[in-house]
Amino acid sequence: MNNTLLELKNISYKYKNNLILNKINLKINSGEKIALLGKSGSGKTTLISVLNGTIKPTQGEVKLFNKSFEESDRKQKSKITTIWQDLRLIEDLSAEQNVNCGLLAENNFYFAFKNLLNISSFKKAHKYMQLCRLHYSIYDKKIRKLSGGQKQRVAIARSLIQGSNILLADEPFNNLDPKLITTIKNLLLENVDKNNTKKYPKTALVALHKLDLLNDFDKVIGIRDGKIFFNIKRTNLNKLHLDKIY
Amino acid sequence: MNKLKLNYTSLSFLPILVCIPLGYQLITNIHFGGFKLFQEFLISAFNPKIDNEIIITVINRLNETILIGFFSWLVSIIFGTIFGILSSNIFYIIFNIPNFFYHLIRFFLTVVRSIHEVVWGILLMQIYGINFSIGIIAISIPYIAVNSKVFAEQLETIDHKSFESINEINAPKFSSLLTLIWNPIINTFKNFGLYRLECSIRSTVILGLFGIGGIGTSIFLSFQTLNFRDLWTYLWSLAILIILSGLIFKKIKFNTTNKILSIFFIAVFFITILFSFLYFLYFIFNNNFDNFNSVSSLFKTSSDFGLFDLLKLILETIILSLLSTGIAISLPPLVIGIFNNKTSKIFIKIFAFLLRLIPTPVILLILLTFNNPSLSLAALTLGLHNAGITSKLLFTNLESQNRRNYIAMKSLGISKKTSWLLGLFSQQAKSYLAYCAYRSDIITRETAIVGVIGSVGLGWQLQESLSSFAWQEVSIVLIAYSSIAIVGELINGKIKSSLT
Ligand SMILES: Nc1ncnc2c1ncn2[C@@H]1O[C@H](COP(=O)(O)OP(=O)(O)OP(=O)(O)O)[C@@H](O)[C@H]1O
Ligand SMILES: [Mg+2]
Repeated sequence: MNNTLLELKNISYKYKNNLILNKINLKINSGEKIALLGKSGSGKTTLISVLNGTIKPTQGEVKLFNKSFEESDRKQKSKITTIWQDLRLIEDLSAEQNVNCGLLAENNFYFAFKNLLNISSFKKAHKYMQLCRLHYSIYDKKIRKLSGGQKQRVAIARSLIQGSNILLADEPFNNLDPKLITTIKNLLLENVDKNNTKKYPKTALVALHKLDLLNDFDKVIGIRDGKIFFNIKRTNLNKLHLDKIY
Repeated sequence: MNKLKLNYTSLSFLPILVCIPLGYQLITNIHFGGFKLFQEFLISAFNPKIDNEIIITVINRLNETILIGFFSWLVSIIFGTIFGILSSNIFYIIFNIPNFFYHLIRFFLTVVRSIHEVVWGILLMQIYGINFSIGIIAISIPYIAVNSKVFAEQLETIDHKSFESINEINAPKFSSLLTLIWNPIINTFKNFGLYRLECSIRSTVILGLFGIGGIGTSIFLSFQTLNFRDLWTYLWSLAILIILSGLIFKKIKFNTTNKILSIFFIAVFFITILFSFLYFLYFIFNNNFDNFNSVSSLFKTSSDFGLFDLLKLILETIILSLLSTGIAISLPPLVIGIFNNKTSKIFIKIFAFLLRLIPTPVILLILLTFNNPSLSLAALTLGLHNAGITSKLLFTNLESQNRRNYIAMKSLGISKKTSWLLGLFSQQAKSYLAYCAYRSDIITRETAIVGVIGSVGLGWQLQESLSSFAWQEVSIVLIAYSSIAIVGELINGKIKSSLT
């Protein structure tokens, strides 16, 4: 089934006369696991920001479920979740409060209020934090006081708890040790479906630097200077492709 | 030759140059007629009157002061938060409201803020007569605008990236807003909101000087009748009140994880809003507007108040603000730096406390005992009072600062004063100046009160116009005040952004 969830049509993004994305065409189909490769400064983060609607492209069209992104309603937009490269957690809130922020979309104002007052239920948040191997002693610690890898996993838990279909992840394995990388990778790419929750996103686009992680992806996209150089099945990837973008 | 380099440290000391013209005018105006009075005033400080009668008066008057001070604080902090949110750009980004409204509400708040609570009080008194609630309303109006500015400023520091990440979660807009502003609001309340209670009490005292109840009225009456011993009883009891209110808040730990406390605060929040609205309605419907009609008819009378006079008064007011600001900025670091030892520090602290404690009109009246009224004298008054406030901030910051550099420099044999300047003060200079920029706004507003008594600037004209019911003149003076404040705010904003 080739059901297109997200589509970029001829996208360009200019910032102060610098062309950061250059005529990008891209389709993300349901169930696809896509790795996004490219050297530092090639435009990976910018591409992800366009995909989740944070950056409005200078030119071109973003389509979500075959509808213009602008016209999509809040419920539809919340089908996308993002793990940011710079995490973008709220530093003054605790880890569990940050994870609970992922539930804001499906809850009302009162939930947000209770979360800030620290009187909401953190049961669900704790479950996802456990999945990310976060120790319970850091649940109520402020983000400022956590280590790099702990922050990384709080951001991942916040993203997973949203239960979105589409995951956009920008180098989500930063700061993680090899064992954690395997755990998190399985969580993100649904290779392990613990307790049959089926909540994890089935479709994922992940910006990567570590090439040894490629084996779990179906497709690979290579980008350089804001341009897509290749968009192929992983099994077709060879050294020539990589030489082009690095 | 060494060039004088302009940096934060030298900028903190340079404004002391205002003392040259100021000192010149003060010296030419010296007289010794009031020396006896001044002496008596000083001696009475150590010999305040204490008997049953005065204690009962103090208690009654303080009760009024506490009530007006507390309720105006509560109302202004709560509505200040709300207006702070409404005038912060994050609100407009989240709700996608045109920027026009952002500028509109900011402009409106600047105008409201530019008019001193005493002026609001006098205006309201003319319309509604003397009334207990006038004090609360008169303080609340400008304070809401002042508080909203501080809250809005803190909300502007919210990282755009955390906004983007919350926005990407696609939560309901109110949930996103609340989640983003929560911590800045709580922190501003802790760091700034509690301190505002002291300001509210001080403003209540000032309003009292103009006849709106509380201990201020007693202070003024005892000064007028030259009962200095009574005066000091009132001043010392006021001092105790201010110190106590500060201590109580220091003791309360505002812990947002405490459920009962949270619910209590939320209840207070909503009850205050509800009561304010109800009271507002009551106030509107329970006052016959006969007075108001006469006021509006007076708007139409022409005045002999020329443009030239107005410009002169505006200029006077600006000079007055500049001179006072110069003193308020430079005097504290200069004095603290020169007299840098333990005993002098205690004396400076006590002196600064007294300067904060004694209302500016009273300081001015005391200074009048050996100097003829002049612009410089009014400037000195305002400058000294505000130096009392800036020096408190400077002391607090200096004491909480790491002394490593200072000690290292001293151990290198560098003189104590130089080490203090380069090792301690220079690291504070930037934030100190940023605070002084904010303070200068307040000083401009306060020129209204010394103007009324010291017969300079717009404040004096305001008093004249009010007492002769020349409402058109009053409105012109108020517009002039607002214009100065708006221009001042623009300049301050520029200076502030170049400093940080
Ligand atoms: N906010 C910004 N303002 C100006 N230029 C920017 C901004 N963000 C990104 N750029 C520029 O856009 C280009 C692409 O940046 P981007 O962050 O998308 O790269 P990236 O592939 O994610 O790099 P990395 O692997 O280092 O994260 C870079 O040249 C960068 O300098
Ligand atoms: Mg990046």
